[in-house]
Amino acid sequence: MLLAAIFAAMVAVFSAVNPRFFSLAAAANILQDFSPVVLMAAGQTFVIASGGIDLSVGSVLGLAGVAMALVIRTLNDSGFNPAVTIALGLGAAMCVGAFIGLLNGLLIAYARIVPFIATLAMMGAAAGLTIVITGGVEVAGGPREVILLGSSRFLGVFTTPVVVAFLILVIAWASLSRTRFGRWTYAVGSNFFAARAAGIDLNAHIIRIYMLSGVLSALAGAFVYFRLGSGSPLSGRGGELSSIAAAVIGGMSLQGGAGRMTGSIMGALITTSVLSGLILIGVEPNWQQVVIAALIAIAVGVQGIGGMGRERA
Amino acid sequence: MTSPERAEGGRPLYAAEGITKHFNNVVALENVAFSVDAGEVVGLVGDNGAGKSTLVGILSGAYTPDTGRIFLNNREARWSSPHDALKAGIETVYQDSGIAPELTVAANIFLGREILKKGLLGRLGFLDEDDMYSRARKELERVGIAMPGPSRTVSQLSGGQRQAVAIGRAIAWAKKVILLDEPTNHLGARQAADVLGVIRQAGRSGLAVVFISHTLAHVLDVTDRVVVLRLGRVVADQRTSQFTHETLLRAIAGLN
Repeated sequence: MLLAAIFAAMVAVFSAVNPRFFSLAAAANILQDFSPVVLMAAGQTFVIASGGIDLSVGSVLGLAGVAMALVIRTLNDSGFNPAVTIALGLGAAMCVGAFIGLLNGLLIAYARIVPFIATLAMMGAAAGLTIVITGGVEVAGGPREVILLGSSRFLGVFTTPVVVAFLILVIAWASLSRTRFGRWTYAVGSNFFAARAAGIDLNAHIIRIYMLSGVLSALAGAFVYFRLGSGSPLSGRGGELSSIAAAVIGGMSLQGGAGRMTGSIMGALITTSVLSGLILIGVEPNWQQVVIAALIAIAVGVQGIGGMGRERA
Repeated sequence: MTSPERAEGGRPLYAAEGITKHFNNVVALENVAFSVDAGEVVGLVGDNGAGKSTLVGILSGAYTPDTGRIFLNNREARWSSPHDALKAGIETVYQDSGIAPELTVAANIFLGREILKKGLLGRLGFLDEDDMYSRARKELERVGIAMPGPSRTVSQLSGGQRQAVAIGRAIAWAKKVILLDEPTNHLGARQAADVLGVIRQAGRSGLAVVFISHTLAHVLDVTDRVVVLRLGRVVADQRTSQFTHETLLRAIAGLN
């Protein structure tokens, strides 16, 4: 409720400064920016609920995007059917995300490396690999259906990736709040020892959580690819920052065990709208990361003050 | 949730014989014999470093003894993990660490044993919260725990209530044995009294209960028998009625 009020107030302020903010075109742009961010944030929400953190989401987005672009270009050049080409490209992206998630999970569950360091290492490795396989150059050359899929709009605002993102969010929300998978995720973050004592296979569960985060980030990479029509090695930069911002603005506790998927979704909507709004009112894009970092600090600060209040009560 | 089983002839329900355990060069337990029968509440006491936690670790499956054997219902048992002991009907309540504070009372009681919805939703892992709430309420009533409601988040409960939830869960699931590692630690007098009442009730219901505590008044109040460990060895094992606070303290300190 509070997040909805913040969002409404923000829309009112930006619209007052620049009326173009309150238009279908602006809403469509925000939703296109929102889709990859909210998918990373959804994965990050599972990870944070389990008491971890995934710094590799942005790099996975980038690597999965260029892997998809390379597969699609290769198959397209070989004369494959566009639908098959896109499906196989999407599959390649998912495999990249699942594999990096698996490595994250193995490092955390079995090598006992703290999530911050394990995913930081994977963030660097994936970003480096993206540059190595692309030479730092965009990977274009897919069928025209890619662009059509990424830019054709229903009702003036919804592209196919946006609609798919909403469907995935419904599944992610249900999975976290209504299923045993979600219950165990919160339990691991709330009290690792209690979860282990209850007989939960923690290693397997942690690996599943990081694989889920990897797959959702890879899907975010696919969405960016659909939007641009090419795989950019620079895509996903700062993704860790925006996904963590969305989750903590949405009320996820970085201690683990608490917070909701709906909060992270609202958090992602707020962060992407703030960035769009700042551009529309003439703030330089280079300030984006500064703004996101400030939002994280404010959200965590507010959580801390709230926590102190509850402890005193 | 099942009714506790009774011992079947021969040894007591849960028995450890000739247990020795070393950690590197340190002897934690040496040739220890320990047993608890169905319906019996046994106190396990000793100074810090006496070996209580190691023995509980072995009984709960967290540690494997170097030598010695464990018998459950007269059959030799080998635990390779706490999960094995759990499956065999042995529940452990750990001091301050057995409950997930951000989950509800019902979610904690059913943690790892969640009830799923029937049909396709259940196969997809969807939880049947209503059923878990209603069963949790009944189970807490059965073990005599007054609780504000199973839908309450545990972090909203008092220390005594949290401990009561942990014990309530153990009683609800235990088929044979409950190991309670300092369950009254950090509790106020009234909260501790509530928890002691639940422990008595568990014994009366036919479970074998092991109660570890530094608070000798609680041990003397609630147990049928007391085992005293000192420097990894059993130095006393007798009926609680044969101890006074003074003699128990002397046994723990090695002054007898």
